[in-house]
Amino acid sequence: MWRKMTSTEGGRGLLMVSPPFFYALALLAMPLGAIFMFSFWTQDFVTLDTTFTLNNYREILEKPIYGALLKRSLYVSGCVTAVTVLLAFPVAYFVSFHVRPERKSLWLFLITIPFWTSYLIRVFLWKVILGYNGVVNTGLLNIGLIDEPLTFILYNVNAVIITLAHAFAPFAILPIFVALEKIDRSLLEAAQDLGESKFMTFIRITLPLSMPGLVAAVLIVFIPTIGDYVTPELMGGAGGKLIANMIQTQFLALNNAPLGAALAIVAMLCVTAISLGFVLLNRRWLRGRG
Amino acid sequence: MTSLITLKGVNKYYGDYHALRDIDLTINEGEFFSLLGPSGCGKTTLLRTIAGFESVSDGVVMIGGKDMAGVSANLRPTNMVFQSYAIFPHLSVAENVAFGLRKRSDLDKAAKQALVDDALDMVGLGGFGARAAHALSGGQRQRVALARALILKPKVLLLDEPLSALDKKMREQMQVELIRLQRHVGITFILVTHDQEEALVMSDRIAVMFEGRIGQLDDPETLYRRPNSRKVAEFIGKMNFLKADVKAVGDVIDLDVAGLGKVRVAAEQAPEPMNTGPAVAGIRPETLAVLFDGETTVRKLVDGVVDEVVYYGDMTYYDVRIAGVAQPLNIAMKNLIGRPVLEVGEKTRVVWDERSLVVLR
Repeated sequence: MWRKMTSTEGGRGLLMVSPPFFYALALLAMPLGAIFMFSFWTQDFVTLDTTFTLNNYREILEKPIYGALLKRSLYVSGCVTAVTVLLAFPVAYFVSFHVRPERKSLWLFLITIPFWTSYLIRVFLWKVILGYNGVVNTGLLNIGLIDEPLTFILYNVNAVIITLAHAFAPFAILPIFVALEKIDRSLLEAAQDLGESKFMTFIRITLPLSMPGLVAAVLIVFIPTIGDYVTPELMGGAGGKLIANMIQTQFLALNNAPLGAALAIVAMLCVTAISLGFVLLNRRWLRGRG
Repeated sequence: MTSLITLKGVNKYYGDYHALRDIDLTINEGEFFSLLGPSGCGKTTLLRTIAGFESVSDGVVMIGGKDMAGVSANLRPTNMVFQSYAIFPHLSVAENVAFGLRKRSDLDKAAKQALVDDALDMVGLGGFGARAAHALSGGQRQRVALARALILKPKVLLLDEPLSALDKKMREQMQVELIRLQRHVGITFILVTHDQEEALVMSDRIAVMFEGRIGQLDDPETLYRRPNSRKVAEFIGKMNFLKADVKAVGDVIDLDVAGLGKVRVAAEQAPEPMNTGPAVAGIRPETLAVLFDGETTVRKLVDGVVDEVVYYGDMTYYDVRIAGVAQPLNIAMKNLIGRPVLEVGEKTRVVWDERSLVVLR
């Protein structure tokens, strides 16, 4: 058995991936399994009633608050994804097509600068920028563009979207940049040679060939933002709370871990369904790549 | 023959680098024209200035009597086959070929489809339309690139080293096909290549370029038989160079050639104007011969010793040392029936003829 495993290439590969595989299993699959089991149990004050029940899911379906929070989470993630990817594309395009090759790594390095400070500090900085007496409001007041401070930019959904879009920008820029870098520049010349203008060349060649990067960017931004907890907690105020905040509340404040677990499972199913849609879409684009 | 493309005093600078130097060139309608030269000689730059991908720093590019200054690549009557073929990977073969037809509003869908089918048939890819572009071999990509360019019926087809990525056998096959295709469609072809054999096989005329300049522009035979400089002679085929001393220049040229003695040649054997004094006499390996035992000749002979033998199957290449010349003479011999292969160190006689000499400065 041992000899067989070390003699064939497949066996050696299996041997090499098994430690990280078991590590991943322990850290990912087991908590996930625990959450899954919890979601079918009931909290009975300090003890857990482990008889199987679908009551938690029933409650999520029946009480409108959960559906509303989930919808808001999806809406916020959708907005963040759209804003981030739309803003990231021009940046990636500029770095890939207009920055001299020897400067590109410097540009990518600069794009990662926000990661040098902790995420929490960046969120607090956005508070300083967007606050009632923040940078934006004082600035606009001083130049006389507004008479009283804007209130729609902090402690609501808008603030959450702005902060998340900024936090995830590098994650969107990098995959799009990679996809653009992979485009053979002679394809663009060929399209022009065949009679197309620069704009039509972009529409017919650059955009379709950058699709895999765009889809990757969408997934990378969408999946983590839907479960984000810190930003809505700090920036969302009362009206900007998302599903993750409710899960946290159930687990800790309300001491109802089973309901929190069921909420987590429902949120995960939503993400899975949407991601699968994108993956299928991506496959269509990837198929045509040599 | 009417001229189609005219370049006058074309110069191109990249910063301090002078890529094209005073190019004057006329290319005729229906001609198969080649730009030949080592890498970095400016041949691709010249092709790209005709295509409109590079602007000229100085000078005029005219196509069909129109000045092309300020006309971008998508509006020029030229189409290009790229070195990398530049097949769009996200489109099928038929979509690739039909790419340039988008703006042809005079054609309905069926007419476009018919044009695509015709173009694919022409390059021998009939029935390949539905295939994905990335599933094609190198030779097939090449053909798709040709069909995609020719479907637009350009005045000029520009080919940027189109065969360099193919293996030898495929390359030779495509050379013949390209010649046939060019005769069939009657479009002017401009080929960029660094392969002298390819240029000789395919072209009506060849411009040999060195360091941004055209060194010689002639038909293949003249280029091979009467190169106008050592550089051209060395780039195209092999040539033996012997020191010479020109004694008299007139209707004939009298000169002393090292190792061969006093020689009289016709004036046209010196492609450039000659003066008396030191010069170089060139002679191609296949115009020399080793005289084997039992063979006779009416031509001139010089004694030599075999210095090196390289056996190629159909040919044997000899290096033969003759008195008074430091560099041994390279001689190409066909291995005809009954001819032995000589050994290194054997004494032999070399047959030569003054008519195959070319006198260079």
